[in-house]
Amino acid sequence: MPDMRRRWVMRRIRHVILLILAMATPLPAAGGEEPLRIGLTAVVVRENLRFFDRWSEYLSARLGRPVSFVQRRAYRDVMDLLAKGELDVAWICGFPFVQKRDPEFLELLAVPVYRGTPLYRSYIIVHQDSPYLGMEDLEGRVFAYSDPDSNSGYLVPRKMFQRAGLDPDLFFRLTFFTFSHAETVQAVTDRVADAGAVDSYVWEFLIERRPELAKQTRVIRRSETFGFPPIVARLGLDPGVRAGIEAAFIGMTADLEGRALLQELALDGFAKYSPDLYEPIRVLAEAGVAFPLQERP
Amino acid sequence: MKALHPHGWSLTVKIPLTITVVAVGVAVTIGVAMIVHDRARFQAALEDNVLLKARAVAATAPEALLRGDSWSLYQSLKQVAVPASHESQLSAVTTGMVLDAEGRVMAHLDPANNPLGLPFRPEDGVERELLDRALSARNPLVLSGAKKKEGFLEGVIPVFADEKFIGAVRLRISTAELTARNHDAAITVLGLTLGLAAIGSLLGALISRRMVGPLKGLARGLESIGRGELASVAPVAIRDLDEVGMLAGSFNRMTAELAEKKRLEQQVALNEKLAGLGRIAAGVAHEVNNPLGGMLNCIDTLKKHPDDPELLRRYLNLLETGLNRIASTVRGLLVDLHYEASPKPCDLACLFDLKDLVAAEMEGRNVQLHWENALDREACLSCSCPHLQQIILNLTKNGVQVMPDGGTLAVRSRREARALVLEVEDTGIGISEQDQHHLFDPFFTNRPDGSGLGLWITFRLVQRMGGSIQVDSAPGRGSRFEVRLPLTDAGAVEPAE
Repeated sequence: MPDMRRRWVMRRIRHVILLILAMATPLPAAGGEEPLRIGLTAVVVRENLRFFDRWSEYLSARLGRPVSFVQRRAYRDVMDLLAKGELDVAWICGFPFVQKRDPEFLELLAVPVYRGTPLYRSYIIVHQDSPYLGMEDLEGRVFAYSDPDSNSGYLVPRKMFQRAGLDPDLFFRLTFFTFSHAETVQAVTDRVADAGAVDSYVWEFLIERRPELAKQTRVIRRSETFGFPPIVARLGLDPGVRAGIEAAFIGMTADLEGRALLQELALDGFAKYSPDLYEPIRVLAEAGVAFPLQERP
Repeated sequence: MKALHPHGWSLTVKIPLTITVVAVGVAVTIGVAMIVHDRARFQAALEDNVLLKARAVAATAPEALLRGDSWSLYQSLKQVAVPASHESQLSAVTTGMVLDAEGRVMAHLDPANNPLGLPFRPEDGVERELLDRALSARNPLVLSGAKKKEGFLEGVIPVFADEKFIGAVRLRISTAELTARNHDAAITVLGLTLGLAAIGSLLGALISRRMVGPLKGLARGLESIGRGELASVAPVAIRDLDEVGMLAGSFNRMTAELAEKKRLEQQVALNEKLAGLGRIAAGVAHEVNNPLGGMLNCIDTLKKHPDDPELLRRYLNLLETGLNRIASTVRGLLVDLHYEASPKPCDLACLFDLKDLVAAEMEGRNVQLHWENALDREACLSCSCPHLQQIILNLTKNGVQVMPDGGTLAVRSRREARALVLEVEDTGIGISEQDQHHLFDPFFTNRPDGSGLGLWITFRLVQRMGGSIQVDSAPGRGSRFEVRLPLTDAGAVEPAE
């Protein structure tokens, strides 16, 4: 009986997702071509679905073929879809990008430029009214990660705790994943979690756009900077299409409409960078605690 | 005190009161039934609702509990806690939690006060008992309770993974809205009851006015009739043709007939009075005229023969006899005058003397006399003796005369509590019923030589003494006259004046 119920619920959830996708998918362009599918994850604040409609319209106009955004809960799901070729492009995190793939099926397409640099950090946040001042104060508390494959929401904070001599697997009473940086902020605001790790870009974005939520939280630690979550392309993608979509992203600063969209994303633009930008994440993931990761906010 | 007892209440109070009580009773009964039914229905709906919501959370709970996914559990709780637009405040979720098998909080709608991963430890005993029941439940169940005077319903869904109990979803909705609704319903019923009471009173007052109005008229009319004031009885107004209306109609007809009857009776009485006066005048004229003719003849003859002494002597005697007769007639008619002139006290000795007079009356007739005197000879009566004697003499004379062929005459006198009773009984020819009506009229007689004044005088005398006279007679059976004279103090027969 519970099995059947679970299946039923899962089916319902699938229906809802399909419905959302249907809403997010623009009508096919005149040629009736297959749309270019772009995967999204928790790295962007996904609240305003109409924003993605407008963005996909903008990109498809630049590209000359339909573009649709595909939303998935976890990075892993997006990576699976990329591997299967069901997605052509995706906005993912630096951590999944640097993970070993055999054979490699991804290449760097463009990197968002945030406040002048292609860099961001991980923040450890607590509730504004809580007494916690440092990481040591969080012993026996509840901690919220965003995604097990997230750089700023999982990898970096764990390394920060290890660096401080604290074992994140034993240090906390309870940890859970929210699969969204914005929801991590929500979890700390609601005091479901005593503390959490968030993407600095998302936290600053929320401070600006949803201060009533984010201003209830306080940053107690900031990490080093890391390469901003990149936009990647499937290796098998047609070179012409690849060049077209790259130009569409990078060219957003060139016109009014693109700049308006970038402003809504709180980004300066998209630019071409070397994959070496993500080397520190790879090193961090593979070599353990080798760098001074923390600095005082 | 009497006015307070329902028996003493007016119909104008009783009828509206009855209608009001019935209306209020019906309203209260229906209202209470509605409230009880309503509450039961809403309670059942709320129980379904809370279980449904708890099930919605429990649907994804097994996986989330196993993975330690507190965030998705919290979001599920929040999702059911936010009332859907079509839902009223009625089923607002007040609190909710997901506990693991050991009772640790895996998600709570109030996370600030219920930290994750710590055992849920309610402080008050009722809450602890509810927690125990929730954690020991292996089937969905609904608990109920109250917190700070606010009732709630709690839906508990145990969560299983591979038939192993791994936790429970607890969801609570407040029944305050339900209570408020019941309160509102009670107020509505109260208002309805008051309204119906007012309408009932009004209706009752109206009905009772229509009903009681004629009845009051009837009561007033009957009182007037009781006092004999037939003329002042006003007809009762008839509004409806119901039983009361029919009664009023009958009453109106009855009073009209009574008034008519009384008028006729007065007419008859006047006629009889005039007829009696006529009879008296005729009797007087006859009695005076009879000797008058002879006497005028005598005077005529004497005028023609003024010197005949023999004639003068004889005719003077005749004239004297005639004048005496006229005088006797006039005396008889003036009995009232005589009575007032002689109120002399007497002892009962005059009654005993009477026996000889009565016996003398019967001289030469074949009549036997029974004289029964139950009175004491020494007893003294203060009354007019000649009148008493005259009553008895008149009656005995009368009795003797109706027995021309002889018989028995009985005279009895006795004393009853407040009266002196005299009885005169004969065995004569008796009196027809028709004659009995005129027996005591003046100048009524069946005898050619009778004056018709004897019984009339007797009647007048008895009347003057405040007594009564009765006749018991039938043709051929004889007659019995009974005279009752009231006794005053010391057994005296006194003139009524």
